[in-house]
Order: sequence, then structure tokens, then C-alpha cells
Amino acid sequence: MDPKRFRAALTSSSPVSNESEPEPESPRVAEVQLHLEAEDGKLLLYLPTPSETRLEWVDLLQEVQKQLESGQRLWPPNTLVELVTGDRLLDHRQLQQIVNALTTVKLHLTRLHTKRRQTAVAAATSGYSIEQQAQILPMAQSTIAQFKLDAEEKDAAPLYLQTTLRSGAEIRHPGTVVIQGDLNPGSSVVADGDILVWGRLRGITHAGASGNAKSQIMALQMEPTQLRIADWVARAPESLPDQFYPEVAYIATDGIQIAPAADFSKNMIQP
Amino acid sequence: MGRIIVITSGKGGVGKTTCSANLGMALAKLNHSVALIDADFGLRNLDLLLGLENRVVYTALEVLAGQCRLEQALVKDKRLHDLVLLPAAQNRNKDAVTPEQMKQLAYALTKKYDFVLIDCPAGIEMGFQNAIAAADEALIVTTPEISAVRDADRVVGLLEAHHVKTINLIVNRIRPAMVQANDMMSVQDVQEILAVPLIGMIPDDEQVIVATNRGEPLVLSDNFSLSGMALLNIAQRIEGKDIDFLDLDAPYDTLFSRLKRFFKR
Repeated sequence: MDPKRFRAALTSSSPVSNESEPEPESPRVAEVQLHLEAEDGKLLLYLPTPSETRLEWVDLLQEVQKQLESGQRLWPPNTLVELVTGDRLLDHRQLQQIVNALTTVKLHLTRLHTKRRQTAVAAATSGYSIEQQAQILPMAQSTIAQFKLDAEEKDAAPLYLQTTLRSGAEIRHPGTVVIQGDLNPGSSVVADGDILVWGRLRGITHAGASGNAKSQIMALQMEPTQLRIADWVARAPESLPDQFYPEVAYIATDGIQIAPAADFSKNMIQP
Repeated sequence: MGRIIVITSGKGGVGKTTCSANLGMALAKLNHSVALIDADFGLRNLDLLLGLENRVVYTALEVLAGQCRLEQALVKDKRLHDLVLLPAAQNRNKDAVTPEQMKQLAYALTKKYDFVLIDCPAGIEMGFQNAIAAADEALIVTTPEISAVRDADRVVGLLEAHHVKTINLIVNRIRPAMVQANDMMSVQDVQEILAVPLIGMIPDDEQVIVATNRGEPLVLSDNFSLSGMALLNIAQRIEGKDIDFLDLDAPYDTLFSRLKRFFKR
């Protein structure tokens, strides 16, 4: 290894560990983020129920639009979507807004999974197209309409986002988050699993937010405002290194450490 | 159909209204018909900068209330007849209009004017939502300060969420000498964070204050000023012309400053 690079690596990792200290109260991922899941050729769009999120409808809709747009590349046009709303009440207008959001990225709503009768009725009477109605109608007629989905049931499939997270944006996900793009200052990602940033990390990231100290944060260019893993928090060193290379943050015996990704995979990952 | 462009920034005092007034004037000077909409209800300034304060009779609110026709509320500029201003009401606040109403106004104006420029208020609340509702394009004005850049970043995110896809960046109030001395963020630094195409950089200039107080936009002034020049160039780039950026650093990039930079490192 080029000795100059190695020295830079050392200086960037030590100040972080000095400043890490146990965080007084660690925020939990009490909130379930809405998420999209591909399942045999169709997409499932999960909307968190009001008890799972503190987002108002307007903000939630904005999140839906953002996620749809950033994931647009990942599914073919005209993919069919099933909306899973659980306990959430949706009226005609809200349903139409979701449909509009889907239409702008060339997705079509076919089915709605809900536990609420009113939502099912709203969907049935909105009448986007007859075949969809036919699919939804039986649900509306059965008093207790569909179905599965509790927060616990959602296994933590990785969330893949292709977007730049700008100031004010916040992603919460009960699994691993992969971001292709930058995390700008003022943005934050809170995940129960690992966080991978294929870009510059300048915001706040919290990996293993529900307590998993084995979680890691990886970035091509690590200049975070703050790094948190499980109950630990660390600030980045005051002075920036001369050059950047991919780095991994993990919990060592004395707090959060950062290591160059190249060395990390050699020394830290046991077969 | 005309183009609807919103001029916004998030942070206040970075030069949104000054840019709106000057770009409107510059586009009108380039033989386009331009309508400026002041969306800053309750704190309107655009009429002052254009020197049209005493000609305002009706405002956008009266148009929306049906108390006058849209044409009656438009204030024609005294110098360039292709420029009109739709003033905001001063006695009301931002909640007095809805995004839908702003859309109506802007769409009505696109039928007659090549460019509809909307001067957005500071902040990201109702006034901002109103201002961006109709826009297809946005100009983000920021200064090379972290607070302004942070707010601009938030605004870019919000614009993207509202499907405003064409977003260009104006970096205002640059002081090349300070940038050279590494005391100020450079345009590259700003761009690196925002990742939005640059459409112009405007140097800090005392003439702007003089022009503002006189109500005579800089681009109309006979005296040559670097900032006026930069604004004219931006207007031409909005037209779609490929104009080279001004080299603001040239006069400051002396041997002495280079040495100073070298030793500072």
C-alpha cells in the first residue's frame, strides 16, 4: 500500500474514536417508513398506519412521490401495484392522489389491501377502471376486508434509493438502506440495519438504530455531520483529510471507528 | 405559450427580488414580453425595485376576487413597454391566496407573455407553495454562505418533490478577493453541495444598492457594472444562448495572492 495513503487513513480514524461517547437517549425507529417491495412481477406499496408514523398526509404523499421517483429505474413501466394500507383510512381524494403519483411514474394500481371498510368502499366507488373495481369490490362487500401486514410482519428488506438526499430529507427504515447518491448536510438516515452510501456522506446517519451494534456505515466519501451506530455517537474530525477514499464506520471496543474500506474488508471481516 | 420561471432561495435577503427585477428587465430588453408576478403577499418589494410603486392600483387579490380584470391590475413599466408587473397585496398575508389561484393567474399570463417570472417569498411555507405551484422552471438564488446554501438545498429538494424539473443556480454576491484568499466559499464549493447546473454568478456590488434605492434596475443603467453584465448574461442564458461565464477572479489572481494562498496552505 502506498504509505502516504496509509498515514491519511490513520489520522482520519483516530479523532473520531476519541470523541465518541455513549449517547444519552438513543432514538428508536419507532416509525415505520413507507416502502416498496417487488413481488413476482408486481410492486407492493406499503403505507404506514397513523400509529406508525408522525407524518401528516401531505408529507406522507410527498414521501411517496419521492420514493416512486427515485426508484423509477428499478421496475419496468406499466408495472402493476398493490397498495397496502393496513389500518389507515383513505378517502377518495387521498386515493386519487396516490393513483396520480403512481401514474406519473407509469405504474398502475390494481388492488388495495386494507383493514378498513371505508377505505375499501372509497376505492371501490372511485372506479379507476372496471377490472380494478371488480378486484376491489369483493373486499368492499366483506365486512372485514383484507388483510395481512402488521409492522412486525414486515421483514426488513433493504431499501434501495437512487437519489440525492437534500437538507430536511429523512429516511427511516427497519432494515438496511442503500443510497446511490449524496447525503447532503441537514439530511438524515435512520436504519435498523447497515447504511451504504454510494456517494458523499455529509448528513447524519444512524445505523442499527434499534440496538444492533454490529451495524456498519459505509460511504465513498465520509464527511458526516454525525455518525451513530446503535447507542454510540461520533463526530467527524474537525479537519478534513486531504483525499478521500471509501470508508467504513463500525463499533470497536472503545467506540465508533472509521477504517478505509480496502483495509476493513481485509482485516475485519471474518470468513 | 410562455415559460413560467420561479425565482426562489429559501433564505431571505440573498437577492431574489433584485434578481427578479433585473432579469425581467433584461429579458424585456432582449425583445421578449415579460410578466413579473410578485408572490410575496404582505411584504411586497418588487414594485419598489422597479420604481413602479406609485402606479399600483389593483393587486393580484382584486383580480382573484373578481373586482377587476387581470389586464387592469398589470402595471406597465415606464421604460420598457414589454414588461408588466402583477403586484401582490400589501395588506394581507400569504394565506390570502391558494396554489390553485396562483396557477390560474400564471397560466392566464402565459397566453400573452413569453416569460412569466414569479418572485418567491423567503421561507418554505404557504407563500413558497403558492409561488412554485405554477412554475415549470426554477432559478435558485444563493450566496456563498453555508446558511444560504443549506436553505437552497432544502428548497431544491422541495422543488423536485413538486415536479419542478428544470432547476438552475445563481450564486449571488461573490467577493472574488475573499474567495481567492480562501475566506469565502467558491462557486465550485456551492455547486458541489447543490449539484444543480449553474446559470450565473454575480459579484458583490455597491451599485446594486444604489440601483435598488433609485428603483432603476442595474441592467438599464448606462454605467457599466460587472454585476449588471452578469445579470444580462443570465438573461441570455435563459433565452438558451451559450454565453461564457465572466471571469471574476482575473483581477485578483495576482502573483502576490497566489503566493499568499500558497503559504496559507
